[in-house]
Amino acid sequence: MMEGVPLGYYLGLSGGLFLLGLFGVLTRRNPLLLLLAVELMLNSANVALVGFSRYWNVVDGQIFALVVMVVAAAEVVIGLGLIVAVFRQRLALDVDGLSSLKG
Amino acid sequence: MKVVPALPPLIVAAGACLVLLLGLVSNRRIKRDGPLWLGSATIIGAAVMSLVLWGDRQEALGGGYRADRFSMLLNLVFLACAFAVLLLSTREPAGVDRRGEYACLLLTATAGMMLVAGAGDLIVMFLGIEILSVALYVLCALEVWRERSLEAGLKYLIVGAVGSSIFLYGLAFLFGATGSVQLSVIGEQLAVASFTEEPLLLVAIALVASGLAFKASAAPFHMWTPDVYQGAPTPITAFMATATKVAALAAFLRIFGSALTDLVDTWQIAIAVIAAASIVIGNVAALAQRDLKRLLAYSSIAQAGYLLTGVAAGTIKGAEAVLYYLIAYAAMTLAAFAIVIIREREVEDGDRLEALAGYGRARPVLGVVATVAMLSLAGFPPLSGFIGKFLLFGAAVEQDLTWLAVIGAVGSMVSLGYYLRVLRVMWFGEPEGGTPRKMLTIPAPGPARSRWSASASARPCWWTSAATRPPPCSPPDPRSAGVGRAPPWGGGTRRPGGRSVGP
Repeated sequence: MMEGVPLGYYLGLSGGLFLLGLFGVLTRRNPLLLLLAVELMLNSANVALVGFSRYWNVVDGQIFALVVMVVAAAEVVIGLGLIVAVFRQRLALDVDGLSSLKG
Repeated sequence: MKVVPALPPLIVAAGACLVLLLGLVSNRRIKRDGPLWLGSATIIGAAVMSLVLWGDRQEALGGGYRADRFSMLLNLVFLACAFAVLLLSTREPAGVDRRGEYACLLLTATAGMMLVAGAGDLIVMFLGIEILSVALYVLCALEVWRERSLEAGLKYLIVGAVGSSIFLYGLAFLFGATGSVQLSVIGEQLAVASFTEEPLLLVAIALVASGLAFKASAAPFHMWTPDVYQGAPTPITAFMATATKVAALAAFLRIFGSALTDLVDTWQIAIAVIAAASIVIGNVAALAQRDLKRLLAYSSIAQAGYLLTGVAAGTIKGAEAVLYYLIAYAAMTLAAFAIVIIREREVEDGDRLEALAGYGRARPVLGVVATVAMLSLAGFPPLSGFIGKFLLFGAAVEQDLTWLAVIGAVGSMVSLGYYLRVLRVMWFGEPEGGTPRKMLTIPAPGPARSRWSASASARPCWWTSAATRPPPCSPPDPRSAGVGRAPPWGGGTRRPGGRSVGP
């Protein structure tokens, strides 16, 4: 089936990264760090996709991973733009401080 | 490789690029009216193309896009929503100020939704969801001078990105379990082999359902919805409540109703629980709302629950009921938000419930429209909302989901509590007067001066709630109106006193 690194290692790494990202999203309050954590989650999916792609010996997963990278970049650009806008409004860079909307 | 069946989303994407360029033209008249006309032309062109392609399934882009009756019907729904929102936005501050970008982002989001509805493989589906989400993050935050709009944009970005990552992780496992990204191949694989106990597939189902529930704002992944709906510019809220929900439900139907249909016993209970939770949480929380946008946000959570009832049935009948209800729901919700948009143009904080007091008597036509929309949303018998719910619950009962149908019916009764309260305030409330909103004026086209001052005069004067809080980025300082300082939002600073014209 496949030589070299077995699938389990890819999935272990990917699962670890995903959980790390999820943990970061749930605990962090700085939007920059939140974005980093989300990036970690997206890229953990990339690791899984590439691993599965090798396992099945098809390139679909790798193409998917490339698309995901572009999407992740676009998301970061928008995220940083928004954070800069928030910063210019002199709002606190702490998502707990963004609470004018609630109820 | 065939391209023609994929033309509807491609036309919209091309239109989005052209509209963006129109916003850069120096001719003021083109800059002001061009995006609206070109955007409308694009939408009509894509709608005509969708009607031409109406018929049996045709595949394009190597199976990545499927043009069939399902996707073409949804294309028309998306385009109708986009057209309505484009027209409703003509006097929105964000839309007036930067019409090119505004129309471009709106069309981009629409193209993403069309990709989702017609997706033939997982890559295109993920790409479509991301295209629509990223465009909407920006649209939510487009009123950058308003703290709430920014807050809504940032919240939507973070929650939406988490939802996308969870969805993507689920798609990766779906690919891992079946070895293909093609939805049709996945369906065939699952039909021949017994996968019911495959742990990868169970994880995939859980993650994909959670990720899509984020996008459809179904409980327990609904937390972002009221905040984002309230903070975003109201036409964008209307767009999110209608078109985005339709796109998320389309993805549900494409993945669960079509590719994973042989595993219905595995995922049925999960979707049913999400649906029940949405109906209960949405309806109960809406009872306590004093803000019309928040109320409609909670109501849209409950509506997502009704729609998921049809998905949980997992039958053709259920899918048809979902499609019918989606169309009815989109029309009703657009009508309800249109009332809010109109009221917001007239008074300060027009989205409060009190702002609508007595409005039905003052503007009877709008009052009747609101009445029909609210009663239909609540599922009153002769209206489309009732027929849709009847079909949805009927499909659920046939699949032994009677408990879900009962929850839905009780939820509809509870929902009358808040829909009727809106109507009571509208027809029988005492008008409160309200602070008239300082109207926006769009400056007439004139000769362009320097780069920044031209855009400064092109900038419309949004209302200023001078009595309470000056807008954070409008410095009443003449020094800041110079060329020496970089404009805060790329549009130049306003001149103090500007063109604010009283009502």
